[in-house]
Amino acid sequence: MAADPTRRVVLTAAAAAPLLLAGCKGVGALGPLPKPASAVVTLDHAITAEELMVARYQAALGALTGQAKITTVIGTLLAEHQAHLDRLRSLLILPPRMATASPSPSPSPPAVPTGHSQVIAELTAAERAASTRLTQQLLGAPPPLAQLMASIAASEAAHPVVLLQAGLG
Amino acid sequence: MRGSAGRLGSPDARALAALQPALAAEQAASYGYGVAGAHLTGARYTEAVSDWIAHQRARDDLENLISGFGGQAVPAAAAYQLPVAVRTAAHAISLAIILEQQVTAAYLGMVALPDSQLRLYAAGQMQAAAIRATRWSDRSQAFPGLASAPQPGHG
Repeated sequence: MAADPTRRVVLTAAAAAPLLLAGCKGVGALGPLPKPASAVVTLDHAITAEELMVARYQAALGALTGQAKITTVIGTLLAEHQAHLDRLRSLLILPPRMATASPSPSPSPPAVPTGHSQVIAELTAAERAASTRLTQQLLGAPPPLAQLMASIAASEAAHPVVLLQAGLG
Repeated sequence: MRGSAGRLGSPDARALAALQPALAAEQAASYGYGVAGAHLTGARYTEAVSDWIAHQRARDDLENLISGFGGQAVPAAAAYQLPVAVRTAAHAISLAIILEQQVTAAYLGMVALPDSQLRLYAAGQMQAAAIRATRWSDRSQAFPGLASAPQPGHG
């Protein structure tokens, strides 16, 4: 059986250790700014990407009120992205945005196109890009995180099928 | 080569241990689509044939990978106990969905291997299977392969 992908990735110590070591040796030993553990960076990027997807879907829902069928589909997919985000955040035992050396800004999705078919086209492109990015990033992730990221990338790869189906209706 | 490829815990043995379940799932899917296709017509039949070919290709890829790691591919069974009895087109579609979910889960071991090429291959196959499952079911899943999806036929 595969390892439990929900197992917590304990990252805090790994991220903090270089700072402590550098601090013991004086300023001369500081050298370049210590980098957070790569798994922390990978996870943080994945979290930021999911936050952006949630924001995109929320904006799309706001723009399409009254169009029952498509808003139902978008609501379902939004819930799945929220589930991705919750699962990813549950693995990060650090305050959000502390993981990277340069804090990333809060995601602000681009303005939502108003037309029904434009919204679908924009979300479809965003899903495919997110899936591709996650696939690249999971190559360097620890095994349980790689499994979770692969599952999320598969979910996002399949979302355009549902979006395009809803667009036909 | 240190002559230890088969030793438990060696990198090749770990790769083989992850490749064999993926192969088994692709063999089962290849068999299952043959059954499903017999109950489908028109566009659904064409879709089943296309998916059947995709699973056969993946099966061949995995057999080659297993040989490359010095292993021996476990042969497919002559027949499989299908998770649903297929008598109608609706049953055939249910079977296709279950097969795709099983295939997605079967790649989880490969996606955790240290070898980047194997990870990438497994991640790509998980995506392809999730897309096929969604085409058959018109529904997506938040965690394909991981979800404790309700298993039709176990109710």
